[in-house]
Amino acid sequence: MRILIVDDSRIMRNIVKNALLQSTRFAHATCLDASDGAEALRLIKASRIDLLLLDWNMPMMNGLELVKHLRAIEEYARLPIIMVTSEAAKYSVIEAVKAGVNDYIIKPVSERSLLEKINRLGLQGARA
Amino acid sequence: MNIAHIEPFIDSTVGLFRDMFKIESEYLTPYLLNRDSPYEWDISGIIGISGDSRGVVVISFEAAFATEITAGLVGRKVGIDDPDVIDVIGELVNIVAGNAKKGLEEFRLSISLPSIVKGFNHRISWPSNAPIIGIPFKTASGKFHLSVGLENIITPF
Repeated sequence: MRILIVDDSRIMRNIVKNALLQSTRFAHATCLDASDGAEALRLIKASRIDLLLLDWNMPMMNGLELVKHLRAIEEYARLPIIMVTSEAAKYSVIEAVKAGVNDYIIKPVSERSLLEKINRLGLQGARA
Repeated sequence: MNIAHIEPFIDSTVGLFRDMFKIESEYLTPYLLNRDSPYEWDISGIIGISGDSRGVVVISFEAAFATEITAGLVGRKVGIDDPDVIDVIGELVNIVAGNAKKGLEEFRLSISLPSIVKGFNHRISWPSNAPIIGIPFKTASGKFHLSVGLENIITPF
């Protein structure tokens, strides 16, 4: 399984990556990372991604812009996306869901909620 | 002082330190910050607010506490000039401001990307359109300071 973690904070990317790799289910996942939406888009187009964990507030192209961009492309219309962001207002959650995210996690991230939300997506091949 | 709209920032700060660092923090009496007073902190993370209000959220640390909480996250000793300290302080102010929006849902607010200012007694160009409320925090590991100004939302009296 290939998971792309997108956040402009390197430490947040590492926190998410470590939470995944220390879990039983995702211990063998391949974690890629990007620091903004534009870099993420290049990675998504260059290689297969099974799950996108995406921050909202980033330079270049923010997370919401990336979601809207991806959902407009048929190939990525079903790419599982979880927004991982500090944006806690209900209107932000609604905006992200309308744009096409599958789920939403409010920072600070707990390992438990991260794994629960990913498991809820019912992704196949988590041990691949 | 009308502190009703300060509470979301206090709550998000206390929650952040508890959840991310396992540190209990206690806030002291909020006060009206004098823009011309010395700002005796070593590093600050700054976020601009726009939308239904304009303003700023600033979280400031002494160097020792900033490096201690960063070291706790990265698993090694760091100095105040380490890029990871900037990364952590930027993320902290981002989470404080983003989480506080939940308690201010009657206003549609947007937050900017964080900026970092370093150096003892650094100067911050406080916006002139709103009073700035200072909120000191103390923990068992060190102290820090939150400053919030939101035009027409947070008023001193």
